[in-house]
Formats: sequence, structure tokens, C-alpha cells
Amino acid sequence: MEYDEKGVSIVPLDFKKEIFKEARKDFRYDEYVLGCLNCGVCTGGCPPHRFFDFSPRIVLQNLKTKDPELIWTMMDEYIWACFQCFTCAMICPFLNNPGGAIAILREIAVRRGFESARKVLKPYSRVLLKLTAYGNQLSPDMIQPDFFPDWGPDISYASADLKVKRKAIPMPTLQITNLSWDVSPEAMKELYEIFDESGVFKIIEAVDPSLYEIIMDIVEDVRSS
Amino acid sequence: MPEEILVIGGGPAGMNASVMLSEIGVNVTLVEKDSFLGGNPEKFKYKFLFPDLQPAENVIGELIKKTGNNSKVKVLLNSQISGFKQTGNKFDVAIKSPQGDENKIFNSVIVATGFEHFDPARDAKYSYQLFDDVIDIKDLEKMLGEGKFLRPSNGKPPRNVAFILCVGSRDRHVGNQYCSRVCCVVSVKQAIELKEHFPESDIFIFYMDIRTYGFFEDLYWEAMEKHDIQIVKGRVAEITSGPDNTVVCKGEDTLLRGPFEIPFDMVVLASGMEGGPQSLEMADKLGLEMDEHRFLKPRNITLSPFRSNIDGIFLAGACTGPKAISDAITEGAAAAMSAHIYAQKNP
Repeated sequence: MEYDEKGVSIVPLDFKKEIFKEARKDFRYDEYVLGCLNCGVCTGGCPPHRFFDFSPRIVLQNLKTKDPELIWTMMDEYIWACFQCFTCAMICPFLNNPGGAIAILREIAVRRGFESARKVLKPYSRVLLKLTAYGNQLSPDMIQPDFFPDWGPDISYASADLKVKRKAIPMPTLQITNLSWDVSPEAMKELYEIFDESGVFKIIEAVDPSLYEIIMDIVEDVRSS
Repeated sequence: MPEEILVIGGGPAGMNASVMLSEIGVNVTLVEKDSFLGGNPEKFKYKFLFPDLQPAENVIGELIKKTGNNSKVKVLLNSQISGFKQTGNKFDVAIKSPQGDENKIFNSVIVATGFEHFDPARDAKYSYQLFDDVIDIKDLEKMLGEGKFLRPSNGKPPRNVAFILCVGSRDRHVGNQYCSRVCCVVSVKQAIELKEHFPESDIFIFYMDIRTYGFFEDLYWEAMEKHDIQIVKGRVAEITSGPDNTVVCKGEDTLLRGPFEIPFDMVVLASGMEGGPQSLEMADKLGLEMDEHRFLKPRNITLSPFRSNIDGIFLAGACTGPKAISDAITEGAAAAMSAHIYAQKNP
């Protein structure tokens, strides 16, 4: 987000209008944003609301104002507090889906490579790499103390001697630690096709260009094999 | 030959229609499925009525007396309509009652099948029937009517009480998009009654919009300035159990404080009104139209709210939508007049 020396946003209004237009054009928008009774049930049941200054009711009300300025201010930080648990959608008496509306805004931020999206996705680069390049999400070698401080003091023990521990698991584990299961080259090629067609690779390029290059090297290797 | 008119339902609307018709010399047969006259107000022992807190006895008791001791009104309790067909301009009706089955020709028919209270157990977030201290306005009305003011769980006076509005109303999840019209004022009335009984207790009302329309507003103002009842904007999202045998209301105060979790000794759910299975049954048997809210549908909701889609069959009271007792009584009179005119014009 761009600000002048006084902290005032210098993003032109036309750009903010364009962002809101993009959100409204989304085929899900009219299904997710209906009326609003301002009753606060969504926020009352919202798990992140207990920890952050975040309220799905405010998100929906801001969208109902159709004020591009208000919607833009949420894109920097506000919408990223949402857990995407969709409790709000489950309990809203109007059948709104505030979490879904947030997903639309987040997807815009990711597609356009906004700073907010880059910041949020940074810790997931290793997961993105495994997922897009190999079709695995978490592999044993990703379990390292630096990345999982919340796993407690025994995480160093869990990450040591992985090869030996894998052998002790009484089921086929490929005897390797950089993948959780075997994905055939045919399946991987199909996956790449899907990521190409759905624009996933493009999004990664916008959000994290260096990660994109690493992934592309692997993709080319597999495709030419 | 005197007119014969059939009234289905012995609540305020049906009773008043019967009384009015009897006064102009019409023979009325009143069919009631329950074992008593008076409808929901009698079933749940309503004690004081809004807006003036007059004893329900003045209204319901009076109507029951006038209907029951009336030589022109034949009251059939525990009875059902077992057959119905139109013959010319008249109606051939089979009635099943403890006195035996009978077939009778009627000049016109008034349907006053009333409403059912919404069952809050259908909306799991309120934990109704899970905790003894979570009750609804019909339960509380019955308790107050029987002189019981104490907590259902332990029989002690409640230190604080929460009223939650719009339970089963204005909520697409339970299938009721409409406002039930009277629950706001009933809750305010009951809050005042509780506060008068327990002046030391704190009473909260959680609302989305307070709809004490017309003169009902007086009661709402009185609740705030005379009884110090706290009115909080925000719907409760969840009711869970709390410490010390309390129930915790969790929600968002959308105007001031944001998130709240308050333990209460007693929670009262303002459950709304529904058309109920009896109106659906009559629609099936008589060929009446239902509206999208599952109430009986008047021919023209503004011009003739008491006229059904069939000539000679008239509607009165809460079977056409949520309404106050006074509205039901007015509609009973209007339907009586229309039924009489139809009978006169189609001898």
C-alpha cells in the first residue's frame, strides 16, 4: 500500500474503484452479499473476533456501502484476520456469506500480487513449492524446529534421524523423506496442466517471482522426462 | 329459515365471530380441536395483556363466557372437520365430535385456525431444552400466569435475566423470513413484570430492531425510564453453560462494546408465530390457498384480508399471519359481517 509522508493513502481513487468493480464482477458476489440486518450474529460467532479487531459484520456493511474507499482500506490488513472457517455463513439469518466475500477480495489481492498477499503467503512458500511441483503438501523433511515453533520442545527430536524413523513406520513410505507419497510423472504433468489452465502458476509468479522460477525449473524437468 | 354458519377454531377470532353472529340471530356451529375454548391465550394461561397490562381474564375469559353460554352457538370441542364439499353456494360439512358424527349444510364458513408458537429447539444455537434456565416467552407467560417467578433449575430468584428477540422470526435458517409482530412488546411487557417482582435483578433485552409499533412504544419507553431495563443491540450467536449454574449468552454488541459473553441466571427466548399444521390441514380439506410464509392467504391482503380465495369461506385472526389479540378480535367481527352478507345474498 502506498502512503505519502503524512500517512495518507496515495492510491488513486480510480484504482480503488477498479478493485471494487472486479469484486462485484465475481460470479459469487451476488450470492454472498445479500441484505444485512446488522444483527451481529456473524461477529458473535466469529472465532478470530475473540483475538483481533475483526468483524465479518463490518466487512459486509462496508461492502453494502459500495464505497471503494472503505473497501480498499480493508484489503491491506483487515480481511487477512479472517480464518476462513465460514461460521458466519453458517449462522447468518440473511444467508449472507461474509467469509466468501472476503475470499473474493483476497483472491483479487493474490492475483494482483498486492503487498498484503505477499506478506501473508511468504510463510507458505515451501508448502506452495511441494504442492505445485510434486503434488504433495507436507513432507517429512519440512518438519523442522524453525518452522514449527508451536509444536513444542520435542520438535527437534521429531525432526532428527528422519530416515530411521520412516523405516519404523509399518507401511510403505518410499523410504524417502522429501516426499510423503509417490506421484507418477503422468499425474504430475496433469497437475501442471491444471495449474496452468486455472492460473495458479500465474498467481505464484505475481506473488513470489523467485519461488516461481524454482517451480518452473522442476516443471520443465518433469515435462521433458 | 335462519342462517347456519360454521366457525372453525375457538380462539379470540373464532369466538368473537361466533358471538357477533349470534347477536344478529344466526345459528353458529363452532368446531374446536382442543378440549377448551380460548386458543393459545388460554392454553398458555396468558395473565396480563399488552399494552395496558389488563388481566387476560377481562378479554379471553369474557369471550369464553359469551361463547360458551350462548343458545345460538353450538360449541363442539375435541372435534374435527372430516369431510367438506361445496354444493351450489353452500357447504356440506362432515364434523367428527365426541357427540357423534354429523353432516350439515352451512351457508358460509369462517376459518380461524390461529397460530403455533415457534419451537426454539429447532434453532440449536439457543440450547433450548438443553438447559433448564433457557425458556421462551410462552413458557414464561405460563409461569407468570401460575405465579411462578423463580429459576426453573433451582427455584431461586434470578439475579439477572436476558430476553432474546427474533427467535424463529426474521431468520432464513429456520425458514421464517417474516417478523412475528408481537414478540417485542410481549418481551418488554414480561421484562417489566419480572423487574417489578425482582427490583434488584438486572434485565437485558438483546434486539436487532425493536418493533413496539404504534402505542406499544409507550411500554418500551416505560421499560427504559421507569424500570431501568438494559436494551442492547445485537443478536445472540450462541448460548452455552457457564460457571455457577449460569447460562452464557455470546454475541456482539453492535453499537458499543463489541463482543460480549455474559452469564445469566435465566434466558427468555422471544419465539415467534407460525401458521401451524392446523392451517395446512384446513387448506387441504377446504381448498384454501397458502402463502409463502405457510399461513392462509387472503384474497387481497389490503382490501379484504378476511376473505379467502373461495367465495363463502372467510378468514380471521392469526391464521393469515402473526397478529395481536386485538387484531384477531377485530378480524373475527369483520369475517362475521362478511359471512353474514354472503349468506344473505346466497340463500
